Amino acid sequence: MEAAADEEQEGISAQSPAQAPPSSASSLPKEQSQVELELRVLQALEFYPPSKLKGIHRHFVLYGLMEYLRNSLDRQFSADEVLQLLDRFFNLEMLKPEDDEKDNFTQGEEFSLPESFFNKDE
Amino acid sequence: MGGSSNTNTSSGGKDKDKDDERGSRSTKEASFKEGEKVLAYHGPLLYEAKVQKSENKEDEWRYHVHYLGWSKSWDEWVTNDRLLKLTDENIRKQQELEKSQVVDKSVKSGRAAQHKPKGSNDAKTDKEDTKILVKGKKRKGQPGGTEEKERKSSESLFMSHFPSTLKKQLVDDWEFVTQLGKLVKLPRSPTVDDILKKYLEHRTKKDNKINDSYAEILKGLRCYFDKALPAMLLYKKEHHQYSEEVKGDVSPSTIYGAEHLLRLFVKLPELLASVNMEEDALNKLQQKLLDILKFLQKNQSSFFLSAYDGGSKGTDGIKTK
Repeated sequence: MEAAADEEQEGISAQSPAQAPPSSASSLPKEQSQVELELRVLQALEFYPPSKLKGIHRHFVLYGLMEYLRNSLDRQFSADEVLQLLDRFFNLEMLKPEDDEKDNFTQGEEFSLPESFFNKDE
Repeated sequence: MGGSSNTNTSSGGKDKDKDDERGSRSTKEASFKEGEKVLAYHGPLLYEAKVQKSENKEDEWRYHVHYLGWSKSWDEWVTNDRLLKLTDENIRKQQELEKSQVVDKSVKSGRAAQHKPKGSNDAKTDKEDTKILVKGKKRKGQPGGTEEKERKSSESLFMSHFPSTLKKQLVDDWEFVTQLGKLVKLPRSPTVDDILKKYLEHRTKKDNKINDSYAEILKGLRCYFDKALPAMLLYKKEHHQYSEEVKGDVSPSTIYGAEHLLRLFVKLPELLASVNMEEDALNKLQQKLLDILKFLQKNQSSFFLSAYDGGSKGTDGIKTK
């Protein structure tokens, strides 16, 4: 019986994060995977700077982060999880949106359809 | 230009006249004029461009082109062999080139995808699908480097997958408003908000679970819509109506409907460019956006108006309530 119990324990500790149930960031089994997780988050920020998390593009920036982490860690991340992770490094509330965004939207340009829409399809 | 009976017909006047009568390279007029819109090869695809300058160096014409819709940093000098006249025939060729890019990849990955049972190992099948949209390897951001080119290719691929009945819807929309002076009757039902919610319900039912990615994307679309509507989604004739119908804190996504939501999709590539997304994520995103478009298409008759209000050329087509 004891032997069996030992084997069981071994089995559990040999599990990789990839086999962990989805959406359970709180049950990360090892310190090592914790480090990897944080490393990936920091890598992701190279593409998705936290400053963009306050502006109008924030949902798509967050989506990008979710996808990046999913690809590199092979499991689904929820938006909340990602925000929690970021919270460890940044005070998200203190972020200011980038100013150049405002230019994009205050201009009031007239909508126009691209030429290609007017061509008949074959 | 070449009105004289001289054999030497080189125009432009900046170059030295050469007496080479064989005219294999010299004595030719510029095939493209300054200010002319053309199709230019950039990599394997054709893009709409404009000739800004033309120059004859050592008997060869070259043209400085600006790619329409691209930043000026892409402007470059090209020779004749990179350019085509902007004709229907060449536009078809442009579309064919785009399609053949897509087909090459789908033939490869389509086979693999078919053998995978649905629902198993989602991450993998998604990656297979991803290849369908864009070729090319992952590259880290180089300023003005290949990443931007690939984004440009995938943008035009997104547009080329735009459902054709929805394209027609947009052309009709254009005609109603700009040519016939009509307006969409507001407030609409279903509203943009309603439609996005319906889509999320549809998606949740289909996947049998709540999909976080879709939820985030839909939030993003609503956010874009509210900001973008007054800034870039209206025709001039609609501004008066906007100021009448959307007052104070009211968000446009609770007033406007499918007609204007569809216009947002036309602007999405432009808007998303600011996010600077990684190639893989962008492709996944575009697939999801196309899925939303298909949902709109499926419900076209219930979401979209078939006739608009008013008929005068002015903006006084607003009915009193």
